[in-house]
Amino acid sequence: MYNFALSDLKQSIASWRLWTLLGWLEVRQRYARSRVGPFWLTISTGVMIGSIGVVYGTLFGQKMSDYLPYLAVSLVLWTAFSATVLEGSTAYISSGHYIRQAATPKLIYMLQVVWRNVIILGHNFVIVVLLLAVFGVKSWETLPIFIPALLLYMANALWIAMVAGLLSARFRDLPQIVAALMQIAFYVTPIIYRPNSLTRFSFIVEFNPLAHLIELVRAPLVGELPSATTWLVCGGLAAVGWIFALALTGRFLKRIPYWV
Amino acid sequence: MAYIELKNTTLDLPIYDVQGRSLKKQVMRMGRRNAIAEGNDGVLVVRALDSVDLRFESGDRIGLIGHNGAGKSTLLRTMAGIYTPTFGTVESDGKIVPLLDISLGMDENSTGLQNIRLRGLLLGMTDAEIRNKQQSIAEFCELGDYLDLPIRTYSSGMRVRLGFAISTAVDAEILLLDEVMGVGDASFMHKAEERLADLHSRAEIVVLAMHSNSEIRKVCNKALWMERGRVRAFGPTEEVVSEYEAQV
Repeated sequence: MYNFALSDLKQSIASWRLWTLLGWLEVRQRYARSRVGPFWLTISTGVMIGSIGVVYGTLFGQKMSDYLPYLAVSLVLWTAFSATVLEGSTAYISSGHYIRQAATPKLIYMLQVVWRNVIILGHNFVIVVLLLAVFGVKSWETLPIFIPALLLYMANALWIAMVAGLLSARFRDLPQIVAALMQIAFYVTPIIYRPNSLTRFSFIVEFNPLAHLIELVRAPLVGELPSATTWLVCGGLAAVGWIFALALTGRFLKRIPYWV
Repeated sequence: MAYIELKNTTLDLPIYDVQGRSLKKQVMRMGRRNAIAEGNDGVLVVRALDSVDLRFESGDRIGLIGHNGAGKSTLLRTMAGIYTPTFGTVESDGKIVPLLDISLGMDENSTGLQNIRLRGLLLGMTDAEIRNKQQSIAEFCELGDYLDLPIRTYSSGMRVRLGFAISTAVDAEILLLDEVMGVGDASFMHKAEERLADLHSRAEIVVLAMHSNSEIRKVCNKALWMERGRVRAFGPTEEVVSEYEAQV
C-alpha cells in the first residue's frame, strides 16, 4: 500500500518540470491578456487587507501599526492554506482529461496545486513585505524561522489536499462540504482577530489545530517565537496526516482513473 | 526485447454519474453489446474487457478492429497502464507511449513553442529530448513564425498539425495509437502518412485502433478483433480482417 503511494510520490517529484509548468500556466491563464497579470492578486489582497484592517482594527480597538501587519500576515498565509485544500479537493477531477489519457504519476496534480498556490503566495507576500517595511520589523532574529515554519505549514496543507482530493474524486458532494468547512474554519481560527481576544471561549483557539498552524507561520513574522506546543501540534499533525494520506492514496491510487 | 502480455485480463468500468436503473433500461433498449451489471454498491459496472489473453512481441504491428464500444480504447488504456485491470495482469517491457488524444495538454494562451514543451513533458520526454526535437517539430508542422503566437490564434487545422507533429516526435518502444488519421489538408495528409510510417518504424511494437480496414491491411501484420470486451479473433491481418468484413 505504502509502496504504491511512495513510488508515485517519488515519480511525481522527479517530474517536477511538468507540475511546475502546469501550475504556472494555470496562474497565467487566469490573468491572460490583463496588463498587470498575476499582480491583480496583490492588488485585490491589498485592498481587502486595507478595508478589513481599518474596519476591524477600529472595532477591536487595535493599534493600526500592530494590527495591519498581523492581519496581512494571517490573511495571506491563510489564503495559501485554504486555497491549497480547496483546489486540492478538485485537483483530480479537474485534471481528469490528463489522467484518462496519459499514465503520469497521480500526485503531480497535487503538487501542481501546491506550486500554484506558492506562486500566488509569492505575489501576495509583496504586501506583507511592504507593511513590514512601513511599520518596521519587530524582530529580525525570528524571521529565519519563518522558512521551516512555512514548509511544515504547507506540508500540512498538502496532506489535507491529498485526502480531500482522493475522496472528492469518488464522492462528488465532498468539494462543497470542504468549501463549507473551510469557511467555518476561517471564523473559528484567529485570523482577523487575536487568539487572546476570545476570552470566554478560549477553548475554540486552544483545541483548534488550525489556530496552531496559523500561529506557527505568523509568529516569526510579527516578532514572536512559536511556542513548543505549537511546534509539537503542527509536527504531530503533519506526521500523522502524511501517514494517513499516503495509506489512503496507496489504497485508492489505481482507482482514480475510474473515478474522474 | 519489448513485449506486452495480458493474462486473463478483466476490466470492470464503474459508471458513477448516472442513475443506475434508468441508464440500464435505456442501454438495454438500445441493444448495445456491452455486458452491463449493477455492482454490489448499486453502481453500474460495465465489463469492458473480459478475460483477455494476449502477447505482443517485438516486430508486431497490430491493428485493432471491432465495433464502437467493443473495448478497443479500453484495451489501449489498460496496456498503457492508465486503467488497472480488475482481475488478471498486464506485464510489459519497454517504454510505452499512448497517443490517444492528439490535442491533449495544449494550452490556449501559450505559444506554439511552449506547447511543444508542455506536450513533450506530458508524453514523458526529458527537457533535453524536447530541445533536440524542437527544430524538427517546427519544420514538420510548417507553422514558421506562428509558433511564437499563442495557439488560441491558430485555426483548427494548424492546431491539429502542431499536435500531430509533437505527438509523433516521441520515441517509444511500444506505441499505442487511437484513430489519429485525418489530419489537415491533402498535402499535409501525405506528409503525415510518411511521418506515421517513420514513427512506426522506430517503435518495436505498434498497436493501433482504426476503422479503416484498408489502412490496417497496409500497415499491420496482425489484426485483433474485439467484440464485447472479448478477443474474437487474433492472427494474420488478411485472415482476421476478411473474416470481420464478412461478418459486418
